[in-house]
Amino acid sequence: MITFGKGNLRVPRWSKRVFMVAGGCTPFRKYFPEYKLEELVMMGYKMMLEENQLKMSPKEIKDSIQFAVYGEFADHFQDQLLCEAKIHDYLGLDPLFNIGVKTGGATGGAAVLAGAMAIASGYANCVLVAGWERMDEVDTRTGNFYISTAACKDFETRMGRIYSSYYAPMANRFAWAYNLSEVTRAKVAVKNRGYAMSNPNAQQPGHHTVEEVLSSRMSAYPLRFLECCAMTAGSASVLLCDEELAYKLSDQPCELFICGGSHTLRVADRRPMEIPLLPHEEPGMYDELLRENPRYPGFESFLASRFASWLTYRMAGIKNPLDDFDLVELHDAFTISDIQTYGDVGLAPYGKEVDYIESGDAYFGGRCPANLSGGLLGTMHAVGATGIWQAAECLWQIQGKYDYFHGQEKWWKRAGKEMPKDWKSLQVKDAKQAMWISHAGVGSHVTCGVLRKAW
Amino acid sequence: MAEPYEGSLTTEYIGQALELKDEDPAWVVKWPRSITHFHTYGLLTPFFKGLAEGKLLATKCTNPACSQNSTWLPPRADCPDCYARTEWVEVPNEGTIYTYTMLDYAGIGIELKTPYWQIDVAIAGVDTMFKGILLRGKPEIGMKVKAEFRTKNPTRTILDVWWVPA
Repeated sequence: MITFGKGNLRVPRWSKRVFMVAGGCTPFRKYFPEYKLEELVMMGYKMMLEENQLKMSPKEIKDSIQFAVYGEFADHFQDQLLCEAKIHDYLGLDPLFNIGVKTGGATGGAAVLAGAMAIASGYANCVLVAGWERMDEVDTRTGNFYISTAACKDFETRMGRIYSSYYAPMANRFAWAYNLSEVTRAKVAVKNRGYAMSNPNAQQPGHHTVEEVLSSRMSAYPLRFLECCAMTAGSASVLLCDEELAYKLSDQPCELFICGGSHTLRVADRRPMEIPLLPHEEPGMYDELLRENPRYPGFESFLASRFASWLTYRMAGIKNPLDDFDLVELHDAFTISDIQTYGDVGLAPYGKEVDYIESGDAYFGGRCPANLSGGLLGTMHAVGATGIWQAAECLWQIQGKYDYFHGQEKWWKRAGKEMPKDWKSLQVKDAKQAMWISHAGVGSHVTCGVLRKAW
Repeated sequence: MAEPYEGSLTTEYIGQALELKDEDPAWVVKWPRSITHFHTYGLLTPFFKGLAEGKLLATKCTNPACSQNSTWLPPRADCPDCYARTEWVEVPNEGTIYTYTMLDYAGIGIELKTPYWQIDVAIAGVDTMFKGILLRGKPEIGMKVKAEFRTKNPTRTILDVWWVPA
């Protein structure tokens, strides 16, 4: 039983308000030999400086930055320790201080959180948050092994050497507990890979059918290849500011709230506990569920996601996520992790995640569309960049710039692709508030970020 | 004062020239790695020794002041609830399957022949689950299983224990 002490549940409060004003990214690919890593980071960083209609020149913005936070998942992949120093120098930001952040798949979200702390504390009023991963220096199966060392090396890694085998037991338990069919899982892959068709930067876009997903090769039962994200090379950046600079730089700044949660790396070590209730949940509402399946969070749910949203919703004054968010970006590294998270973040009550997917609310045109960016399944998982790129996609939606960043020929050309003639805009009309989940391990670290229209 | 080196130094290249993987548009060089780590099992060494003796050893917090007194498998030497040193206890070699997967496509270096069943086992009196391999049979949630051990030629890894239907 996990219990909390009195001090553990203090809701974080920024000392100064924090804003996000700009984002940038590279195209995302399996293999990116044309550029060195620092050149890729520069590409996303320059896009952030030049393409966000900021009211200062790129040079003036560079001259305003005081601090940088860099996200990189694994030194193994880069085969370079202190990559942060090389990148920082390459971006011409010496001798300003920078720190590297590593929290597995949640590295991007944690980097944004660290950048926000710097603004909120007054350490800086202009912070670059950039992340990257280049997973193309090794072959796929070596990459699978590297990632599996983010399971416990003594007790788990040898059991599979691939991360799908640590999520798959969750998928089987979830299906047993909450009646999840493989068809519902496949629908998530079809949806997100389909949305990636509108994203010029997407690595794995495709108009797939449920049948195609379910006939793709098995990775770890029941998860099939089309239900798993791929390994990516690429980078993403966002710019954080305090209130004064945010409005100097942008006519469309978004206010940022972000908190995190964590849970033991080994899922099997997760001892049961009471369900922390979100603001819109009623005491007693899970009594029946817990009678049938008493071991919360077990293999069905992610405590770290629940705890991160528990904090962030209170910090940001979110009353009901389904009413308050116009869109979300969730960590769909696997179909199952996407589905599980709807319960954790309260878009659906625990146990009703399947109904939520089937209701259409998570689709474009629904009450709270998820992963219109194409998500990790369709667009990218360059791990250290992922949570930063998700934030940029949320920012652009609120700023009404989905079409600007996805529907222009130049972005398709940059990615070496032709813009589809039937390109479809996925701009959410009048989006005011968005949430993104950055997620690591099998739920070992999670951040929940909220961006709110502030103009 | 002596010079750091006496005489002139010469050297020669003793590495291996890198092969090219790709040449267009950028040179991509093939850069091999071969690395051995020396990894300690630390205070958990009795657990791995126990496997070689056919025993499943967990740790238990027995501190009267601890609010949880949990039993841990995988073991941990220090209680995360009260920070007391835990004690070794032998736990039953049987349990029930909590969840499972079949591993088909594994990462490089896999030491087990694929495909195989990976299971998470609930053991009475243990507060955590324990991940393992089901050597025979087809798993179902709730199925009873018992542990077997590689006591001859142990691998000295977690693969020295596996499960079979009870």
